[in-house]
Amino acid sequence: MPEPLLRVDRLATSFPTARGRVRAVDGVSLELAEGETLGIVGESGSGKSVLIRSIMGLLPPTATRTGEVRYRGRDLTALSPAKLRRLWGTEIAMVFQDATTALNGVKRVGVHITESLRRHTGLGRKAARERALDLLAQVGIPDPKRRIDQYPHELSGGMRQRVTIAIALACEPRLLMADEPTTALDATVQRQILDLLSELQAERRMAMILVTHDLGVVAGRTDRVAVMYAGRLAETAPTRTLFGSVRHPYTEGLLRSVPRIDQPSHTRLPAIAGRPPDLANLPDGCRFAARCPHAEADCGDAAPVLEEVAAGHAVACHHPVLARDASLERRARRGKLAVAPAALAPDGAGAPGTARTPAGAPIDAAEAV
Amino acid sequence: MAGSGTAHLRDDDDVLLRVEDLVVEFPLSRGRKVHAVSGVSLDVRRGETLGVVGESGCGKSTTGRAILQLPPPTSGRVVLEGTDLTGLSGAALRAARDRLQIVLQDPISSLNPRRKVRDVVAEGLAIRGETDRARVRERVDEMLRAVGLDPDLVGDRRAHELSGGQCQRVCIARALVLEPQVLVCDEPVSALDVSVQAQILNLIEDMKARYGLTLVFITHDLAVVKNVSDRIAVMYLGKLCEVGPPDELFARPAHPYTRVLLSSIPELEGSELDVGAADAGELPSPLDPPSGCRFRTRCPRATDRCGAEEPQMRLVPGNGAAGASGHHVACHHPMTADAGPAGDGAELAETGAT
Repeated sequence: MPEPLLRVDRLATSFPTARGRVRAVDGVSLELAEGETLGIVGESGSGKSVLIRSIMGLLPPTATRTGEVRYRGRDLTALSPAKLRRLWGTEIAMVFQDATTALNGVKRVGVHITESLRRHTGLGRKAARERALDLLAQVGIPDPKRRIDQYPHELSGGMRQRVTIAIALACEPRLLMADEPTTALDATVQRQILDLLSELQAERRMAMILVTHDLGVVAGRTDRVAVMYAGRLAETAPTRTLFGSVRHPYTEGLLRSVPRIDQPSHTRLPAIAGRPPDLANLPDGCRFAARCPHAEADCGDAAPVLEEVAAGHAVACHHPVLARDASLERRARRGKLAVAPAALAPDGAGAPGTARTPAGAPIDAAEAV
Repeated sequence: MAGSGTAHLRDDDDVLLRVEDLVVEFPLSRGRKVHAVSGVSLDVRRGETLGVVGESGCGKSTTGRAILQLPPPTSGRVVLEGTDLTGLSGAALRAARDRLQIVLQDPISSLNPRRKVRDVVAEGLAIRGETDRARVRERVDEMLRAVGLDPDLVGDRRAHELSGGQCQRVCIARALVLEPQVLVCDEPVSALDVSVQAQILNLIEDMKARYGLTLVFITHDLAVVKNVSDRIAVMYLGKLCEVGPPDELFARPAHPYTRVLLSSIPELEGSELDVGAADAGELPSPLDPPSGCRFRTRCPRATDRCGAEEPQMRLVPGNGAAGASGHHVACHHPMTADAGPAGDGAELAETGAT
């Protein structure tokens, strides 16, 4: 078997706090192949952001990191800061949730992009500017010639996120880490940015880790999903497999607690009771047990380990469930399409108003592309 | 999206809150002004939940606040059970606000960090003039229990000692302790984690049933608005686009903007309702909104007429008796099953829009 692009082995990151050591990431192992997209899903405090920062090596000096991060065979945890800097941007790049704070408010848009280009590729001033204009056009910014000399505050939130994506892509990385790239954006802009990431990724055959709290987002945008809870992986599976057979009660709870548009109004939501555990004071055994409707006496004794239940599908649970999310499974089957039918076109090419597939109806052939 | 008009307002005794031609403008320097809300009309029946949905900057929160006269609108009427609130001031307005309360998006910053939970919840009662401390305390504790908090555990804590979900429960208790008739919820679950969102949405439904509340629920989240609402109003750039019952609106959206919004729901990507992502163009500025239909600059169906003439609210023909569903749209070229994509809207019943 060929070496994967990225292999994370028993990665653990903790921070000292007044309340004791917070184990934000606690023994996570995962792999990512060239060109693959992995979705990491979890609530705030689940450790998903710390996980990708630990992979990057972007941690505060107080953090303790153990385990291994192999990128194309090299252990990143053993690299010096100078060597890591050479890797950031050219091999691994990152897009953050809040584009406003990710950009320097007193620098023009163009400077952000040309800075890393000139450092990493040795392009001259003029060539770097040409390349920056090209990148701005590629990320769908209208009128790049004007935008390149503007400051971040002159751009809308969606445009700013496009700029950070252009910065990330400037040196053609093989791996893009996107940490909640659309959470701060409006719904219609979220769709634009996700479509853009899918397109760029397909064009460049770039691998991507997409961190989000939204299972709906990962359904159509990823090849594989890892669900995190309290610093550990609860469940991981190929995206279509996951929505077709959900095995961890936490994944099931997350899916069921979100309101769905295919449910009638006023449907009562089966909420997950309680709150996630305190990471400085973790319970013995399964970390989800206190909130789990299927917990039994043995759940408090030994922590469940991630075990494979089907090809590529692993679950950390003593009493796995079997559930299915039909609408997200359908979405996952449709795959990573970025271009949608032009049903809005006024020339009648599309078919607005046609009945949509009722919820739970069998998937017809046209949908199962 | 347009448009103005009051054709979608209902004429019956059951209407508790009626907003007519609401305009909110914020003056800037050199005579410019932000047109935050420009002629929005809404009504809510007793016991009904009206969902107001739209993206940031569409004026949905400003509308919610203007209903409470926070601040009073530039023009228009807000009529609660026959009383026009826009004409009130001082003691009369304060008294009216007892009947009209609001829950805001960020539960932690909307609580005073220096005050204890019990005092936060009791403040409205004190302002109303309740002086019997034992009674106030009893009332507050009862309210805290109703929203799922143990008054003995959290009553003497401060906001920073509570989770986001608990803070939102305190905010709901603070609003409901005054026994309002209308509760405006402005993005009450947007700042909360997924698993906590469901708890708070369920709580709001429980409180609505228990206290017979009428709700105005403002959100950007389409799935949330579908879940909580009896009727939904879609807003864009200070105007209403479409008003209708949730099932109808989601199954047969008539306004092109509603379609674009629906296409942003991940589950619907690639389905027949999907019209792709919105244009990457910038949102027009509310300082200088487009003439005619305000959505026309981003609308693929826009024609010359859309720039010249503002669309008025009118009925979308339903499957059954016209008007039975109360589905209205403000668009010259709505997307209806009968009219077809190129329909010029002549098929639509004009319902005496003004």
